[in-house]
Amino acid sequence: MNDQSRPRRPHGPGAYMLVLGVSLVLGGLAGAASAFLGDQPGPVGTAVTAALVTAAMAVGFTVCVWWWRGIDEAAREAHKWAWWWGGSGGMAVGSVLLLTLMLRAEEQALPAKLGSTPADIFVSGMMCILLFQLAGYTLAWAGWWLKHR
Amino acid sequence: MNNRLKVLRAERDWSQAELALALGVSRQTVNALETGRYDPSLPLAFKIARVFGQPIEAIFTED
Repeated sequence: MNDQSRPRRPHGPGAYMLVLGVSLVLGGLAGAASAFLGDQPGPVGTAVTAALVTAAMAVGFTVCVWWWRGIDEAAREAHKWAWWWGGSGGMAVGSVLLLTLMLRAEEQALPAKLGSTPADIFVSGMMCILLFQLAGYTLAWAGWWLKHR
Repeated sequence: MNNRLKVLRAERDWSQAELALALGVSRQTVNALETGRYDPSLPLAFKIARVFGQPIEAIFTED
């Protein structure tokens, strides 16, 4: 337990925006590199793409760790609580909804935007679940602060 | 858990922002602590006790 360290101001919205900005730039760079290298034939293109995406994720994760260590304990608790309950709840609701839609796909055609090939539909499903998780997380985070303010 | 944070802060004529700075937390966290809607971790409780120069049990009491 180290409570003797000199207090410092916790990260505020500015740091959060910085993390979002860095993530956006990294995502853009990795996406552009993937698009360019994806056209390269052979395993080298795939390997370099995987390496670049992994490096971008590693840098992004490092920035997130820096931000996480700079926020105070109540803010951390809000994020942990929101991710567990909101994220898990959103995932549960989203997965049940998607499963229901898939099981009744013959009765009601899936939107064309979800894709036509199994791979496309699989990726669309993953993105849908992620959106449900983020929606649940956002609601739970806001709820935590409303309850604890 | 109940606490005397608001009283102790008022006695010293500190704002929530000043106390937050002394504790290294956000003003929102100080507010949540004062209203009893958030219980601090043990390290933060020790820090609060040190800032006010009082033992933890003089600041925090069970419901």
